[in-house]
Amino acid sequence: MNTPGVLRSVPAAGKGGGADLDILHGCRHGDRGAWRTLYDRYAPIVHRFLATFGVPPEEREDACQEVFVAVYRSLSHFRGDARLSTWIYRIAARYASRASRRRRVRTMLSNMLLREPLPPPAPDASEKSERLRMLDELVARLSPKKKLVLVLFEIEGLPIEEVAKIAECPENTAWSRLHYARAELMAMARKRLKSNGNGRVGES
Amino acid sequence: MTRPGWPDGDDPIAAELRQALDDAQQRLPDDMTLRRGWSAIDAGAETGRRGARLSWFAGGMATTAAVALACAAWLWPRNVESPGMTQAQAQAPTEMRRLTLEGGVVAELQHTSKMSIEESGARVEGGTVRFKVPHRRPGHPFVVRADRFRVVVIGTRFGVGVAGDRRVDVDVDEGVVEVWNGEARVARLEPGQRWSGQPEAESPPAPAPTQVAADKALEKQELPQTVPADRTAPRAVEPETTLQMRSDSRHHRSGRAATSIAMIESPSRAGGGAAESPRAARDALAAGDAPKALEIYKNLAQKTGPVAENASYEIGRIQSERGQYAAAVATWRHYRSDYPNGILRVETDVSIIETLARAGETDDALSEAIDFLRRRPDSERRGEIARVTGDLYRGRGDCRHAIGAYQLAMSASRARDVVEAATFHRGECMVRAGDGGGVDALRGYLRAYPEGRFRRQATELAEQATSKTAGK
Repeated sequence: MNTPGVLRSVPAAGKGGGADLDILHGCRHGDRGAWRTLYDRYAPIVHRFLATFGVPPEEREDACQEVFVAVYRSLSHFRGDARLSTWIYRIAARYASRASRRRRVRTMLSNMLLREPLPPPAPDASEKSERLRMLDELVARLSPKKKLVLVLFEIEGLPIEEVAKIAECPENTAWSRLHYARAELMAMARKRLKSNGNGRVGES
Repeated sequence: MTRPGWPDGDDPIAAELRQALDDAQQRLPDDMTLRRGWSAIDAGAETGRRGARLSWFAGGMATTAAVALACAAWLWPRNVESPGMTQAQAQAPTEMRRLTLEGGVVAELQHTSKMSIEESGARVEGGTVRFKVPHRRPGHPFVVRADRFRVVVIGTRFGVGVAGDRRVDVDVDEGVVEVWNGEARVARLEPGQRWSGQPEAESPPAPAPTQVAADKALEKQELPQTVPADRTAPRAVEPETTLQMRSDSRHHRSGRAATSIAMIESPSRAGGGAAESPRAARDALAAGDAPKALEIYKNLAQKTGPVAENASYEIGRIQSERGQYAAAVATWRHYRSDYPNGILRVETDVSIIETLARAGETDDALSEAIDFLRRRPDSERRGEIARVTGDLYRGRGDCRHAIGAYQLAMSASRARDVVEAATFHRGECMVRAGDGGGVDALRGYLRAYPEGRFRRQATELAEQATSKTAGK
């Protein structure tokens, strides 16, 4: 499987990746420079993944730090069976899922107990594009499993075998989820744009 | 950019989504955000390296502690009585036990303590129980019974103990408590004071109807008004009781020596014999022989301790009742210098103010009253004295100060008669001072007290003021 035409932030390499192996070795031996390299390489990706996965902007920075703290704490357990990027994505995906669940519970409790719904997350001020805002809204409505596969494949540009590893499911399941995620996304976008009365979103 | 699996061509929706996905791929954080993140992680990593093992250890300890606490809570005897439970006994099997009773009252029992819960409070049957009573609303005091005594509190911290020989001990940490025996108040305790009541020779009788009536009356009224006679004639401490200052007290507020343990001696132990006992003085007074009572009290005042203290006060009271106002005031002032922290100190202050006012010494009375209000911001008698102060100002024609004093009386007092009088006189003073709100104040009084003592005067004054305003 391949994913032509997408931005590849993660160096394509074999298991572990040659460059990643050096970084890993340095990190395990307390090399601060290696840590900095690891961070510089993966922090933008983690940021983007968290943003697309629906972590609100005000939580994103902290979330990214949490992911890297988890990476730091668990690095000694990383066996190198998968690529380092896959492993980091998995940590980020778990964190994002947990954060999403926490937000859902908070909202539910707030609705139940306070009878005053929590305010919706503030729109990302950095987002200039109405198109991106629409995409975030639509992706947020997908189920977590479909969302994870769609984000990893369509935005992060990972091959489906890696997506399947991160999602911890067979490849065929990953394809299936991707298919339904796309279909739902299309349907939701169609409905939304129809209700807006035009076929284009346009720049804000 | 082409995307496998997405419809190509002119489908505008698909085109928009394709474009949105491409945009999302370019969504990367700015340099500043990344640098900030690195600084935080780098700092966290330093502490994390040191704290990793520690956090495991701390986590383990916390888990162990939580499990231990849960087990302790599960194994802890569940004998806390429900508020509605009557005569239920709480026997403390462990070193110290804490119970929460109705109204947030906390009772701490020692391992030998024995306490039962009653409808209006608790009964200490053995050992010592310390109570912490949150402030109660007026008319609903918390009552602790111990043998034949009742300890009545509005809100305070104190302890009640019943010894093996049924001697009852009461000591006060905070606030004020009163100890009653039937209809008689036998002690009024302030922080740092301890009182002991000896058992009667025979077993205590069942509460007489008058005692039950007194209990009910007590629960309906505010504490300062429980026994009106106490305002001018505090009950002499019963001869079988002992009153002392706690020698280890942290609550001494004056130079009174910590070793000044004063015992009230029973008639058999008192040097003067039965003829010079407080009871003999009371009997003489009851028989109308005030000079004899005065003589007995004067002899008792030569002794030391609460008997002498009580006698010193009683001398002034008898003099005041006989119209010897100046002598009474002098006696009480002497008492104040002898017993600056005496148990009857507040009573003495109030008596001096009232006697001076009665004697027409308004300047002195006002000075004493203002001094009382300044020195005793927490006194239960504050509202009463504020009302007297207002009366004194009003008598001098100083309506402005009178209004202030009456306002203080209205806010500080819980006694209906004090508040009613202060409400009316405040309105009256406002009308006399030409205050536009005076008529409203009087109308407010009439609304609050439609059957009040000053109804007629309030109506007339309000009408006069209204017609005067209309005439203008």
